[in-house]
Amino acid sequence: MRKFIYLLFVIFTGIVSFKTIEPLFVIPKGWPKPTYDFSNNILAPEKIHIGRALFYDNILSKDSTTSCASCHLSYTAFAHTDHALSHGINNRIGTRNAPALFNLAWSKKLMWDGAINHIDAQALAPIHNKDEMDETITHVVEKLNESSLYRKLFYKAYKDSIITGEKTLKCIAQFLLTIQSYQSKYDSVMKRQTTFTNQQKNGYKLFQKNCASCHAEPLFTTNEFATNGLKVDETLNDIGKMGITHNVKDSLVFKIPSLRNIEFTYPYMHDGRYKKISEVINHYTSSVQPYTNLPQTLKMPMVLSSNEKVDLIAFLLTLTDSHFLYNRAYQFPKNILITTKDKH
Amino acid sequence: MRIVLVLFCVIFSSNIFAQKNNILTIHHFWNDKKIVLDENYFLQNEETISFQTLKYYISSIQLLNNKKVVWKEKKNFHLIDEEDSISKKIIFAKIPFDLDFDEIIFNIGIDSATNYRGVQGGDLDPTNGMYWTWQNGYINFKVEGKSTFCKTRNNAFQFHIGGYENGLSTLQKVSLKINKKRPLEINLNIEKLFEQINLSTQNEIMQPCKEAVEIANKLPLLFSIQ
Repeated sequence: MRKFIYLLFVIFTGIVSFKTIEPLFVIPKGWPKPTYDFSNNILAPEKIHIGRALFYDNILSKDSTTSCASCHLSYTAFAHTDHALSHGINNRIGTRNAPALFNLAWSKKLMWDGAINHIDAQALAPIHNKDEMDETITHVVEKLNESSLYRKLFYKAYKDSIITGEKTLKCIAQFLLTIQSYQSKYDSVMKRQTTFTNQQKNGYKLFQKNCASCHAEPLFTTNEFATNGLKVDETLNDIGKMGITHNVKDSLVFKIPSLRNIEFTYPYMHDGRYKKISEVINHYTSSVQPYTNLPQTLKMPMVLSSNEKVDLIAFLLTLTDSHFLYNRAYQFPKNILITTKDKH
Repeated sequence: MRIVLVLFCVIFSSNIFAQKNNILTIHHFWNDKKIVLDENYFLQNEETISFQTLKYYISSIQLLNNKKVVWKEKKNFHLIDEEDSISKKIIFAKIPFDLDFDEIIFNIGIDSATNYRGVQGGDLDPTNGMYWTWQNGYINFKVEGKSTFCKTRNNAFQFHIGGYENGLSTLQKVSLKINKKRPLEINLNIEKLFEQINLSTQNEIMQPCKEAVEIANKLPLLFSIQ
């Protein structure tokens, strides 16, 4: 009898503890199917753990000064707030704005110019870029294989302590995939848990009329690429996607970013030229250049009164997701990196 | 006991048979000379050329008999590296020992579907230096070296031939008739490529582009069978 009670207790605690475990990845109700094929990189807590450690570890850079988190800060939606262009080792400055990171399982092509077609391969770009980490994946993997910390972590995850490029990059991808933002005020309103203020409601209508064709709900981006009629910055002469495809119709075409957490992802645009949301809106009302490959929806300027602009911004601020911004699972993993730092 | 002995003999002898035709060996040549890295070879007019790297992918190997596919390889991708002699021997696993075939077909490079599949391991691991990083995609064929023809720094040339989309595909198919009586040995004659390139004007390709496609089109002609 006592055994039976004990067994019941074990089962009960099992169920309770199982229920309290947060899922590794969530497809929020009403969202489309992710584009990422998880069957090729099955999520596991130990692998996400490694990815998170690598994301915050300077070991990825040539001189051990720069990590992914140097330009992608969790408290600001993984954007580099207040920095127009990305930063690298030896104070080098890149040519584009470090984008915010979240909901990447729905992305199609990555980077402002779509140069990367798969999230598993994404980390290679900043690791190898001379103006960012200026390293090679081959050397990173050598360094990781020499680190008792990482050999232990990889052994836990793969039952094999030999670290390869594939494992390293797939672990980073696992962490990136779990960075999700779907709990903003907007999301609560959609679930009828709360309501917009009148100003936000009006802003939402203006958003749907003027912005939603490119910044489609619920991701607030179609994850496609388009030109938005920005004047060329002649100090950068960035031709965008055309640099990859060599096709004139991709001239000045850049990735359409999500508007979620826009409150924190300034400065805006691929070169970080605008500091305020109002400057972005003013671009669409009055400075769109008449490029031939401009999307149909931008051919006529947006018409908004100054009150309407304020309402639109009020709506955009409902896309701030503080659950996401302050989620501890995304922050610097003190327990892994600080206590074992000397072991590198 | 006798049965065991007979069985042993059968298994042993069948293994020998199986090995007759299941190793594909690749040899790299400059005319009739085997390639040795960093050794000088002669181009026309006493100009010289030497190689530091010769690396490429062979994939989707198939054996045919009377134009019908009789065997396809399961593990699909082989990185062939002049520096690594083991890489120049491809062992076909699980091939029936009595299989008849008179033709071999393979690709030079990595197909576009694989290029869309993200990062992979083994011969496809990005640490092999055959994966572009600023723009993803495999380098299908890489040849680097020096030539007195090149008026570049250290007389260097670098050809990284790859590309799988935007009309710039560099994947190439090779089809070779097999002499059944001999083991499978394939030659790659690199001089056939450099006879068609003017190194003084063209000495660097590092991205998918029209020039890379033109070079890729020439690659199947470098392969022949002994």
